[in-house]
Amino acid sequence: MTAAPALRAAWHGLTGRPLQATVIGLVMLASSAASVLALAMIAGTSAPFDHAFARDHGAQVALTVSTSRATPARLAATAGLPGVRAVAGPFRETEVAARISLPGAAGALEQQVVLTGRPSRGGPVDDLALDAGRWARTTGEVVWAQSRTSLPVTLGQDIMLTGVPAGSRRLTVVGIATSVTSTAQAWVTPAEITALHGPGVAQMLYRFASAGTTAAVSADISAVRAALPPGAVLGTPQSYLAIRRQAAAQIAPWIPFVVAFGVIALVMSVLIVVNVVSGAVVSGTRRIGILKSAGFTPAQVTAAYVLQAAIPALAGCAAGAVTGGLLSVPLLNLNAAVYGVGVLLPPLWVVVTVPLTMLAVACTAAMAPALRAGRMSTVQAIATGRAPRAAHGYAAHRLLSRLTWAPRTLTIGLAAPFARPARTFLTLAAIVFGAAAVTFGAGLGTSLSRAAADLALTKTEPVQVSPNAGSLTARQQHAIVSALRRQPATLHYTAETDDQLSVSGLASPLSVTSYAGNAGWTGWSLITGRWYSGAGQADVNTYFLTATGTAVGDTYTLTAGKRQVRVRITGEVFDTHGNTADMFVSAWTLAAVAPGLTPQQYDVGVKPGTSIQSYANAVSARLGTAFDVTTSTSSPVFKSVLVLVVVLTVLLIVVAGLGVLNTVVLQVRERAHDLGVFKAIGMTPRQTLAMVVCSASGIGIVAGAIAIPAGVVLHRYVVPVMAHAAQSGVPAALLSVYTPWELALLALAGLVIAATGALGPATWVARTSTATALRAE
Amino acid sequence: MNPLVQLEHVTKKYDSLRGGGTPAVADVSMAITEGEAVAIMGPSGSGKSTLLNLIAGLDRPTSGTVRVDGQRVDTLTEAAAARYRRHHIGMIFQFFNLLEDMTVADNVLLPAQLSGQPRARARARAGELLARLQIGEYADTYPARLSGGERQRVAIARALVNSPPLLLADEPTGALDTANGEAIGRLLLELNSAGQTLILVTHNPDLAQRHARRVIEIVDGRVASDCRAAPAGVLA
Repeated sequence: MTAAPALRAAWHGLTGRPLQATVIGLVMLASSAASVLALAMIAGTSAPFDHAFARDHGAQVALTVSTSRATPARLAATAGLPGVRAVAGPFRETEVAARISLPGAAGALEQQVVLTGRPSRGGPVDDLALDAGRWARTTGEVVWAQSRTSLPVTLGQDIMLTGVPAGSRRLTVVGIATSVTSTAQAWVTPAEITALHGPGVAQMLYRFASAGTTAAVSADISAVRAALPPGAVLGTPQSYLAIRRQAAAQIAPWIPFVVAFGVIALVMSVLIVVNVVSGAVVSGTRRIGILKSAGFTPAQVTAAYVLQAAIPALAGCAAGAVTGGLLSVPLLNLNAAVYGVGVLLPPLWVVVTVPLTMLAVACTAAMAPALRAGRMSTVQAIATGRAPRAAHGYAAHRLLSRLTWAPRTLTIGLAAPFARPARTFLTLAAIVFGAAAVTFGAGLGTSLSRAAADLALTKTEPVQVSPNAGSLTARQQHAIVSALRRQPATLHYTAETDDQLSVSGLASPLSVTSYAGNAGWTGWSLITGRWYSGAGQADVNTYFLTATGTAVGDTYTLTAGKRQVRVRITGEVFDTHGNTADMFVSAWTLAAVAPGLTPQQYDVGVKPGTSIQSYANAVSARLGTAFDVTTSTSSPVFKSVLVLVVVLTVLLIVVAGLGVLNTVVLQVRERAHDLGVFKAIGMTPRQTLAMVVCSASGIGIVAGAIAIPAGVVLHRYVVPVMAHAAQSGVPAALLSVYTPWELALLALAGLVIAATGALGPATWVARTSTATALRAE
Repeated sequence: MNPLVQLEHVTKKYDSLRGGGTPAVADVSMAITEGEAVAIMGPSGSGKSTLLNLIAGLDRPTSGTVRVDGQRVDTLTEAAAARYRRHHIGMIFQFFNLLEDMTVADNVLLPAQLSGQPRARARARAGELLARLQIGEYADTYPARLSGGERQRVAIARALVNSPPLLLADEPTGALDTANGEAIGRLLLELNSAGQTLILVTHNPDLAQRHARRVIEIVDGRVASDCRAAPAGVLA
């Protein structure tokens, strides 16, 4: 087969039907963009961590070892084990209570921290990134780890350590550093750790030749463990894979919906490409006959029609890859910022593979109708000028003509889709997916908005009052209460005290929030159970329940040092802040385990209709500059994701609209002569327009009716998956987002897509001269 | 008597790539009074169908005026032209131009439905026409099952359903065999005898002579002759 004639024929076919080429190009652009975005998000979830891990020679395994059981020589000997590529340590470590004493303020923030003694930040394993200041040079200096859960320290700040041999020890922060695998919360010089050191515990950091899987890491740990005396390895070794998973969890909640949109886009593009190429074969039958009579072989005709789809598809896929890649950059960099690895681009293999796959899908979709073109009889093709048309749709015309109450133009339009059942089915399916995407997108938008409001408490607790630094003194509390009471718009207020407690079974500290009194009005959304009603009760987030293996109704013992308090878990709170375990209790309950803490802020609810900013300004004016009055704001991440939802939904609406446009163009071309007859016997342009729009609207109404349950089911499935990825359950309010009137409105999505897609060709037909239309074959 | 159709200095040129060219209709003026049966005759490409399209409001002249029933047709918008055709024009085509996916009755009813006639009245009128044209038994049949002559009768019924004052026929027997062509010709004359104004376009001199009372010959877009003659094929 000679390819050049097929290519030339395809090119002439494309230039002769630019609209069809444009439809294929745009459809492939939109679906490729959505697919690149979806895959880039999946592939890129671990990318920032991986970049930082490679750059910093991150520790694949961190072991806590007993220096009394394993001598430094035995520990150093593990470097020679088969499979061990690099070792750092032993670094002596201890766990102490760290309290920040902020200058000029009473009260303090306290946290249990793991402190490690290291002579420098560099080394073959866990090359720490120094974010600010310098490394500790002498005793009395500390380098603090920057992480989401650490205390908010600054350079030059003093930190008081308690629970050390000397009773207490004051250290000055001289540097801020990041360990990609969080091997410690703070670092001091080896001399300092010797002074602080209690039990003989040290940290060993390893990199192995093979550590890609959990099994490989376990085997590596077993090899090291076997090389050391029994009992030398303390606690559970820390694998980088767990940290990597946690890093991926930052973006994981957003993946399910992006994937859902990507899959919808892929299916829609297949439907529309099949429809467009089938239409090109049907409407170009005479051309096929001419090509064959001019000497084209069936294979060349088939190739010409596949190329007719492939050329615009290639352009669309390439443009879609670029568009999807650009859309993915902001989302990927949400996570990249955590590791300071700069701007991340989607993986190259995604940007290359997706458009190629989409192109292959388009060509495969075009193959069936193209083969039909290749097999078509030359004589028949030239004689008929169009594909043989079965007598479909006659009964529909007959039945619909009996609807005496409906205008005849409407009933003729409604009957039109029955003439081409296969094409109508493909168009219906494309609109169903588009309208389902609208329903899903609308529901998801509502769920995300509610989640953002629930997590930030913007509606219930919009104002917070706190001192410029430290905790509140009794005098400051009195001033705040006085100022709040003077505001007529004040509805509720409560003192909030936060603390972080080390709890067995939890890798990171438990974040405890206590309120003075019940404070149910603060509006934390409950997944199950109820808000605590008194002392000895607690609400916790899903992460806590999962990590501790507890359930609502269970009793849990909170331990801080030698103090203990038993709390009954009364409710599961929707709280996904930072993938940490959170607990909400009354002030009394927290005081039982952490006495002496004073509130850090007052949370304020205002009367409905109050201007939040005006209220905050009024309180601030009364309290003066010693206090910060802030208002609750939703996370900017939600706003970004909402924009993404809108963009993806619009892309899919455009794809569905293009599918309709293509169908209606084919339909009016095939019926051009009939349309001329309609006009010749008195059909006005407006009636013509209405008739053509109705021919698509009927499909749109049916599609809308199917799409509503499909979209709702998709929403019901995806939102819990997203919440699960964020290690949380879902409050009922985030699932029950569709009101009846909203559903009724969304049911019109199919109609709107269909009518909008049909409007262009309908207008063109309405404006076409009757004489011209009558001359059409 | 006032003319039903009046053309004054009508010229129609089609856009061509080279510009200029011979006009399809060149400076044609004519008047046709109510009740006339006029045959517009001429060879292929002479401009007779273009002339018919201009009278029907399907096309607009490049210059000149077209009046039908006192109404300027050449200045109508597309919508107004459609309404004009509903009420003033009935059209019959060489290849019938029936809608294949509609029954005979639905085809005939369509112009009445488009003009918003009450359904009962439209149905009664359609039934009456189908009976008069002897195709009543095919009311629920699809056009594809009918012979050429029967299809043209359906087309005539459709053209008359709104009782238009002017019936335009473009080669109405061109796609029919001799017997069917003769029958349709007679039918048109019968309608004319009953008062229906008829303009018939044909390239067949015999048909023009036998079925029209006036023959206008068009050559190269111009009126070459305009003769009045008693038709030979009128039935008593």
